[in-house]
Amino acid sequence: MHEHHELERPRAPAGALRRWFAAVLTAALAACGSGGGGDSGGSPTPQPTADIPASRAEAARFLTQATFGPSQADIDRVMQLGLTGWIDEQFQQPATQHRTAWEAADAAAKAVDPMASAGNNDVLYAFYQGAVGGRDQLRQRVAYSLSQILVISMVDGNVGQYPRGTASYLDVLGDGAFGNYRNLLENVSKHPMMGLYLTSLRNRKEDPRSGRVPDENYAREVMQLFSIGLYELNNDGSIKTDADGKPLETYDAADIAGLAKVFTGWSWAGPDQSDARFNGNSSARDADREWKPMQGYAQFHSTSDKAFLTATIAAQTTADPDASLKVALDTLFAHPNVGPFIGKQLIQRLVTSNPSGAYVARVAAAFNDNGAGVRGDMKAVVKAVLLDPEARDAGKLGDTAFGKLREPVLRMTALLRAYGATSDSGRFLIGSSDDFGTSLGQTPMRSPTVFNFYRPGFVAPNTATGNANLAVPELQITHETSVAGYANFIRGVLQNGVGARAAGATRNDVQPDLSPAIVLADKPAELVADVDQRLAYGTLPAELKTAIEAAVNSVAIPGGSATQAQIDAAKRNRALIAIYLALVSPEFILQR
Amino acid sequence: MSHIAKHADRREFLRRAAALSSLGAASPFAINLAALGAASAQTTDYKALVCVFLYGGNDSFNMVLPTDTASWDAYVAVRNQAPDPIQLLAAGMAPDPNAAAGSPLRLGGVLPITPADAQGRSFALHPMLGAVRDLFAAGRLAIVPNVGPLVEPLTKANFNSARKPAKLYSHNDQQSTWQAFAPEGARVGWGGKLGDLMASANSNTMFTSISTSGSAVWLAGQRVLQYQVTSNGAIRLGGSGATLFGSTVAMDTLRNTIARSSRSPHLMTQDQAAVTARSIDAETLVSANLPAPGTAPWGTPAANYSQNNDPLLRYTNPLTGAQAGNGLAQQFQAVARMMAARAALGAGRQVFMVSLGGFDTHDGQNRSHADLYARLGHALAYFDKTIADMGLASSVTTFTASDFGRTFTSNGDGTDHGWGSHHFVMGGAVKGGALYGPFPVLGVKNANNNNFDSSPDQLGNGALLPSTSVDQYGATLAQWFGVSDSTALATVFPNLSNFGSRNLGFMV
Repeated sequence: MHEHHELERPRAPAGALRRWFAAVLTAALAACGSGGGGDSGGSPTPQPTADIPASRAEAARFLTQATFGPSQADIDRVMQLGLTGWIDEQFQQPATQHRTAWEAADAAAKAVDPMASAGNNDVLYAFYQGAVGGRDQLRQRVAYSLSQILVISMVDGNVGQYPRGTASYLDVLGDGAFGNYRNLLENVSKHPMMGLYLTSLRNRKEDPRSGRVPDENYAREVMQLFSIGLYELNNDGSIKTDADGKPLETYDAADIAGLAKVFTGWSWAGPDQSDARFNGNSSARDADREWKPMQGYAQFHSTSDKAFLTATIAAQTTADPDASLKVALDTLFAHPNVGPFIGKQLIQRLVTSNPSGAYVARVAAAFNDNGAGVRGDMKAVVKAVLLDPEARDAGKLGDTAFGKLREPVLRMTALLRAYGATSDSGRFLIGSSDDFGTSLGQTPMRSPTVFNFYRPGFVAPNTATGNANLAVPELQITHETSVAGYANFIRGVLQNGVGARAAGATRNDVQPDLSPAIVLADKPAELVADVDQRLAYGTLPAELKTAIEAAVNSVAIPGGSATQAQIDAAKRNRALIAIYLALVSPEFILQR
Repeated sequence: MSHIAKHADRREFLRRAAALSSLGAASPFAINLAALGAASAQTTDYKALVCVFLYGGNDSFNMVLPTDTASWDAYVAVRNQAPDPIQLLAAGMAPDPNAAAGSPLRLGGVLPITPADAQGRSFALHPMLGAVRDLFAAGRLAIVPNVGPLVEPLTKANFNSARKPAKLYSHNDQQSTWQAFAPEGARVGWGGKLGDLMASANSNTMFTSISTSGSAVWLAGQRVLQYQVTSNGAIRLGGSGATLFGSTVAMDTLRNTIARSSRSPHLMTQDQAAVTARSIDAETLVSANLPAPGTAPWGTPAANYSQNNDPLLRYTNPLTGAQAGNGLAQQFQAVARMMAARAALGAGRQVFMVSLGGFDTHDGQNRSHADLYARLGHALAYFDKTIADMGLASSVTTFTASDFGRTFTSNGDGTDHGWGSHHFVMGGAVKGGALYGPFPVLGVKNANNNNFDSSPDQLGNGALLPSTSVDQYGATLAQWFGVSDSTALATVFPNLSNFGSRNLGFMV
């Protein structure tokens, strides 16, 4: 059975731990006075709201949950607008357009060579344009979270043939991040890349004469992963059980067989519904088919009755795929599981791996009703996740079970944003980082399967968290190979920048700006404190900072007859050591 | 076993029992397991189990095919469906070089095999499994038909009243059930438990349970932790140099302090640090002791050795006709190199997992399967030969596992999730060339519903009702591995006592 993770968590004990925690907090808050310059001038002075953070460190902690990593400018803006004001401003921020970016890359490639085209890496470039360089940070961070729930993957051979389609899928997720989940579910279900990935595209109705049956793939996963999950849930995410204590299952094989018929007769968009277009024949291919929503083809849609969950779609005299789909998605969306099922996973992606039942219930309540009677309003859900008392409580910094491990992609983006990384080409040419031994072991939109890089309920055997019954999804991709691969890869990112080199370029495309660290190189304690603020909002333990400082001091800044180049090199090495040792510390990898 | 060694085992047992008694609720069972293990591991020889997990759910209906007339007719009737029939061609049909790549016409007929006891039927393998056919003929590979997770013996007659595994047909849950006898969320697998039982045969328990392809619950023990190694060996944290940004102090701080320990009492930083410490410590041993990949028998010497270019690790891609690197063979190479270093790594009993993904063939099955089976066959043959050259033929047993079998019905170009499936067991200690267990009857689909009333072994859409349980399959391997005590077997295989036979007989 599914492990039930609404388990009692160890409380922060009194005494030594509390004193340690108090020291961490004090250090964190003390450092809030100094702050980076900020470049958010030009905006009208907003009215102060009640939720302006007490410190820059608190703002940075919030932004670590809400963005791909706090920049000094973001912190300034949050201090100016408050949390709610910042979120409201993000709601208005225009969305990064991934398909447009991909098409521009494709056009540029074709201008050089008419036979060339942009590829899957250009999808990732578009992703990092938003994730590292984009102003719509909250939208893209939520979209990235959704990409780990509503999974498609360019690793798949079919999806991998249509990078423009995956770029458009990122736009669909970006729209969904601040839209309504019902619409998102429909846009995902009709997206041709999802159709390819979970094989609903070109799925044919049953043939009783020959014995052919509909493909059940999408019907199964849309229930198991995208909407209701395996077990009936309470609003707090806990599993409902029968009189014998057995979990109540949400669906069975008959429900899947019934729902599978709904997902027959869907294929590529286009001006007609010919068999040739359904089959994807080269004679009937719309130029935009890889991103336009799939359309129904009546001749391939099952007309027999379709029973699943609480719904029954009566046999159709004329096949009506759109009508069938509407009933199916309305039924799934109305299921009381969706709020706690999706809400809890969003909390896990943004804030903490083991939210309390009460926290999940508050987010589910926002999903169920945004306060204006609307179900599935993602803006309300996002606010509920990020503004919840459990997310905001600074006391949680001392809870030894609160928070999550930063996944590898987010560690890299945190570094790049903390140190104002820029792209020489303007295109953020950061490609695939799949390899565990030599890279991050994780690439956006390249999950190995529809079950994502890790499972939301993963409890690592034989670990401290496992013994405490804590789920830590990111530990599923944390192993002897990946920890070394990350440490070695991020060293290169820091030292040499990251990404491909544009034609004629002499360095990697995306370069962090280490100058704020280099100017502090002759003041190691200040240097380490600044690194702590930028990467970990002042939460690095004193013992760690002392160790980093000693390592920094091991590089002497030459005096006397040394050349300026030698002095600069030493200062740069000091800055690199300080930042790098923070990046590989377990205390940074934890987000709390 | 010498007197001294026995005392060492005794001390190991006491130490382990003491350590486990602090684990709370799990401890009575854990101590029991450790005690049984100390008794089981009175041995000095080397043995290893290697699980080849076929992720996605392998369609074994197209892997091992009964070719007697009744079976074949049913097969053709059910699987010859438009638009892209997944029905393979009869034995003896020559490949059509002009047909589409991966198509049954292009592949040619299925490959006949002659099992020792053919149960009155005849059999063949997928056309891309020529290497497996040869292993079978040489007596080094056995076929175990229709294996799947079961709680107790199950027939269509008692189907509604008997206990059944939870969350059948679901990928993640059935992967977990195959590996750990419970759906997703299980934390201890039967490979890891065998490691727990036999770890006292290892002077260093770190290398008891090893994966080349990511975390898998099969390898997780109550005590032993799975160790991850890449196809290339271990990765040194900090890189190859002695300095970090010009400083040896900084490198020492990285490796000996910061990355491997947590200054925070937070449970997640402690776990992160523990994995990192293991990574650093294990790498030192592994890198110092693994033979170079470009040496015989593991690989082919070359000036600038690369696995991708090693002819031993390349297979013929049936879709392109070209040679290409075989990632599964590369994983096997790492396993073989780890085995070569077993003395230095202190390993006398080991469990390994390698894997191959892509078996979720809902569509495009013909092409996918052709390539996957070409890889599988090539990799098994590579490993068989390498192990034999190392003198370990009878010490290493390799077996397949997968999420589930698939539907017998076709959805037009693929298959859906099923239950029971056929599996291979390979090695010098395997009584090969035979089938172990009844081969299922293949029927045809009812005209009016998805049932298969014409077969006692087939459920809706023709999915197989398993006739052999994973417990029995695993227990047979476990007994060869050295776990023979019935109580110990019962702790590893929770449903075993519900089945008449605890040993399927395919191991010597």
